[in-house]
Amino acid sequence: MAQKINFILNNVELSVESATGKTLLDFIRKDAKLTGTKEGCCREGDCGACTVLIGEIINDELHYKSVNSCLYPIGKVNGKHVVTIEGINSDELTPVQHAYTEENASQCGFCTPGFIISTTGYLLKNDKPNIDSAINAVAGNVCRCTGYVSIKRALNDIVEEMKLYDNSDNVITELISKKYIPEYFSTIKERLKRLEIIELKESNKTLIVGGGTDLYVQREDDLKNEDLVFVSADAAEKIYKEGNSIFITGSTTFQELAHSDVIKELIPNIEEVNKLIASLPIRNSATIAGNIVNASPIADMTIILLTLNTALHLNDNRTVPLREFFLGYKTLAKSETEIIEKIEIQIPEGKTLFNFEKVSKRTHLDIASVNSAFIISLEDKKIVSCGLSIGGVAPIPLFLKETSAYLEGKDLDTETIKGALKIIDKEISPISDVRGSAEYKRLLAKQMFKSHFIKLFPDKISVEDL
Amino acid sequence: MSRKIIKSKTYLYDEKIETIAEVPEKELELLPLNKDLKIIGKKIPRVDAEEKVTGTAVYTFDKSFTNIAYGKTLRSPHPFAKIESIDTSKAEKLKGVLKILTYKNAPDIGWYGSYSKLLDQTVRYEGDEVAFIVAETEAIAEKAMSLIDVKYKELDFVTDTLEAIKDNAPKIYEDSNIPKTRGHAHYSRGNFEEGIKNADVVIERDYTTQVAIHNPTEPHGSVVKWEDDQLIVWDSTQGVFSIRDTIANSLNMPESKVRVIKEYMGGGFGAKLEAGKYSVMAAIASKEIKRPVKVILDRKAMNLAVGNRPDSHQKIKAGAKKDGTLTAMGLTNYGTMGAYPAGAGAHWPLRSLYKCDNIETNEYRVFTNTGRARPFRAPGHVQGTFALESILDDLAEKIDMDPLEFRIKNFTPIDQDSKRPYTSKKLIEAYKMGAKAINWESRKPAGASDGIVKRGLGFASQIWWGGGSPPAYATVKMNRDGSVQVLCGTQDLGTGTYTIISQITAEVLEIPIDTIDVLIGDTQATPYAPSSGGSTTAPSISPAVYDAALQMKAKLIASASAVLDIPGKELTYSNGKIFETKNESNSITNPKLIRKMRERVLIATGARNQNTDKYAINTFGVQFADVEVNTLTGKVKVNKIVAAHDIGRTLNRLTLENQFHGGIIMGLSFALMDERVIDEYTGKVLTTNYHDYKMPTIKETPEIEVIIVSENDPLVSATGVKGIGEPAMIPTPGAIANAVYNAIGVRINSLPITPDKILTALNSRG
Repeated sequence: MAQKINFILNNVELSVESATGKTLLDFIRKDAKLTGTKEGCCREGDCGACTVLIGEIINDELHYKSVNSCLYPIGKVNGKHVVTIEGINSDELTPVQHAYTEENASQCGFCTPGFIISTTGYLLKNDKPNIDSAINAVAGNVCRCTGYVSIKRALNDIVEEMKLYDNSDNVITELISKKYIPEYFSTIKERLKRLEIIELKESNKTLIVGGGTDLYVQREDDLKNEDLVFVSADAAEKIYKEGNSIFITGSTTFQELAHSDVIKELIPNIEEVNKLIASLPIRNSATIAGNIVNASPIADMTIILLTLNTALHLNDNRTVPLREFFLGYKTLAKSETEIIEKIEIQIPEGKTLFNFEKVSKRTHLDIASVNSAFIISLEDKKIVSCGLSIGGVAPIPLFLKETSAYLEGKDLDTETIKGALKIIDKEISPISDVRGSAEYKRLLAKQMFKSHFIKLFPDKISVEDL
Repeated sequence: MSRKIIKSKTYLYDEKIETIAEVPEKELELLPLNKDLKIIGKKIPRVDAEEKVTGTAVYTFDKSFTNIAYGKTLRSPHPFAKIESIDTSKAEKLKGVLKILTYKNAPDIGWYGSYSKLLDQTVRYEGDEVAFIVAETEAIAEKAMSLIDVKYKELDFVTDTLEAIKDNAPKIYEDSNIPKTRGHAHYSRGNFEEGIKNADVVIERDYTTQVAIHNPTEPHGSVVKWEDDQLIVWDSTQGVFSIRDTIANSLNMPESKVRVIKEYMGGGFGAKLEAGKYSVMAAIASKEIKRPVKVILDRKAMNLAVGNRPDSHQKIKAGAKKDGTLTAMGLTNYGTMGAYPAGAGAHWPLRSLYKCDNIETNEYRVFTNTGRARPFRAPGHVQGTFALESILDDLAEKIDMDPLEFRIKNFTPIDQDSKRPYTSKKLIEAYKMGAKAINWESRKPAGASDGIVKRGLGFASQIWWGGGSPPAYATVKMNRDGSVQVLCGTQDLGTGTYTIISQITAEVLEIPIDTIDVLIGDTQATPYAPSSGGSTTAPSISPAVYDAALQMKAKLIASASAVLDIPGKELTYSNGKIFETKNESNSITNPKLIRKMRERVLIATGARNQNTDKYAINTFGVQFADVEVNTLTGKVKVNKIVAAHDIGRTLNRLTLENQFHGGIIMGLSFALMDERVIDEYTGKVLTTNYHDYKMPTIKETPEIEVIIVSENDPLVSATGVKGIGEPAMIPTPGAIANAVYNAIGVRINSLPITPDKILTALNSRG
């Protein structure tokens, strides 16, 4: 299966005949023969060597984001701008390349193009540059040689230099004038508008791709020769409030969710929580709906949404409460062709407090051994309402119905917590695997529960009492 | 200029390696200290950085030809099996399949000594090679793999080292799983039992370390191409000459007809020291189909089949007097080689790092149905140092002595086997400077830190060889315009070999660094230099390059003497020109001189000097770790590492720090993350990708301070350089383990130190 996909690769308009499910990486390396983009051979977004930038016009503005090209179907670049390292290069080194050179931030060099792309993508994001967010932007790039210290130095140099002129309205113009990106970037917006966008055909209605960041890890062979169903990203507003609910459209990515003011009202530290999930290129692609449908028992965002009263609106007008969506390990209360159109979160009444805990072997870019989210609303000392969910302790992402019910109406004190711990013990059923033994996960789940209270109520609950 | 042939002795592990080498007749003039130099020792960015930051550097992974075909290896899904039948007929019918090799049609080439063959009928670990397919595309090759019908007779297997040594364990070979030859290594000095009797305190502990995988970012791979009867192999390798010889020998061809080229490579860490079966299989197929063949391993194969750091199961018994004197140390260790012979010991640090008169060690190398071990950045020393430094901290605590004072008390200025003094051992200085940098004074007793998150300090020391040796040669060629090429048979793994060769040449010849071109990693074009392993590259080749550059300088002066008709000793060489010392205006530049000589290329070849026999050559260092442990979740965060080392001269402060940072992060990874996990019921590896095999990201990188206490080691060579790749990693896990203990007051005696182990240990203590 092949159909025409029109996009701009670096400085060249292309019309490519391809199945829409082919990975962008294979197109770049094998068809376009651009070998600056590497493959750390993981094909699962865990090394960042294949990072490229995707530019698209949103609300009449050109925006860039970094993605892992090994998990990115070429159909998704239809009408967009793809930037590889070759598209950054010009006659002289860019200030990013120069900083990496001067600080010796490249050793064997195999991962370096990925770092250069991630860093350039970071600058294109128009964030006020600072070293912490710059480091986060390359946290999905694995280097086995340098020990990263020289890379941190390079990032620091870049951030300091950017601070000198970060008051520009148009980041692209600014970066062109300072030679961070080549001149041709100034023409991209108009050229994208001129591209003929052909609507893509779908060959298999069951191959539904949101971000694809899990699906490609699991089933690339099933996808690469197919024309896929892409979850529409057309909504003008992806996250909005209506009545007493927040609606999240099906194509919303993790990164979009974390930067939504509507969500921040509900979960003030969502940006911090988001950083514990995967890496920036993954978060730029991965969708919240996809996270739910993937049904991993330790899906971070699903665990968070389970604490809230969340409902899923499917494309056939069916609505399923999230807490009833998971029937068993990777078994869902939906048919193969049903798509999550919207996620509805009922805004809880009164003031709520939220906490999220995650323990993994590696703090960042890792799957949790166990994760847990907790939301609680108090009146004086009494728990008015609460929701507790724990991941990695059952075949499904687990909402602890009984524990949550037990807590409601009780006073917030050590006895209540100790009572709840006993119920948790009954509600969870972890198994031993690569991420830890069953006993450890059981222990960790209970420690996390304690941690929710210690973090949310440091004056009321102490570790010694528990 | 004159040379002599000598017997060269190098010490590495138990081996006194004797080679014959050509070395300079006389000792070279010593390179001045860095403070008196312009380019060496300075922060010179790597000369190949531009290719790397622009993605234009071509790795074996990127190499291609228009008519290239692709090779893929079918690997055993079983840990131990005999192939009863293999039917490739369906696969061969697939359009685009060009060649399939199996044990039935492949040449009979021995592999792993006599233990196996290029393609063997018996497969001994999950990942062992079963067939090699060459096709028009990788996708076709993959499809063909699925069409090969293999019937296996599965055999009883064993993957666990301690299970494999039991009497009733399945045997990998007819012999015991601890082979009769070289399966057991014994070492002793003094009288261990006597030493234990004389101790005031004795402790005995068990330590285990995990199997770790190198996982360089660029996978192993080759591109092979025949040009008439010459075979050219582009390989991602740490040793072009070693690869060449294995390939030539396997294919029964003259070595002169095999050319191995390594351009850029994405890391090796020891895994790329030897030739892979894939190179030979690709060469065989390529010859037959008359097309170049490219074979690149996938990440799964990387995690199964191209080496690992073997595990260790160490039992140590150690005794000390109350005054801190170590009286005896004994070690029994079991480590797995995997399914084929390999090194798997860990006793060297215990034997050599501290003064102790009574030592006894027994080490056993065990066959299991797992991927074969290969050298991995300081083989044995990383595991051994973790265990040794853990038990020494426990001993120090027991006799109520500061652990640093305890180490100083047991300092040895001589190599205890040969009784020779070290060329240099500034370990006490390293302790002092390191302790100050980490604020050792602030260290609290174990577990005494308050709160949920507890902080701790710890350290570990390091000994390694790293002195380098002859034979190693380099050729300097100067062209008529004064530009220079340096040819050397070494290779740059990303460590900065191109850069240091350029620096030394530029320093001696006083010419701009950008007029120097370095050609390395090509067996056909360069003089011999050894494989890049054992932290020997810089110490072996830097004196050879230095010698070649000095000779070029001498040649230029002598030629100028003839051209200007002035005695050589009345001439001065400076900044690429030669002038009469008393009359600077009477001068000639290198280009003008060479034109006058009517030569187009001047050539000088240098050689590495002979090593001293009067001293032991080693590197030393200490690393301090500052960690915090969350006692609710068991998570460890490393805040800071201070590394203070005696490693001879610094050639380039930037590449030196790169190596230290990289080694330390790899050590941190080994302490907290790296782990190959095998399912004991199926014998299959569960960690076959970056997803499950975790290594640190930039977010796990602590603050790192590198202190170099040495300026030079002139007893080693005229450049005074020693290697740092391995010293940088050796002490890190031990330092982190001791800091974790200091934080929580509970010992974790097995690596990696995971939240699981910490929480379980804290919880069982109550």
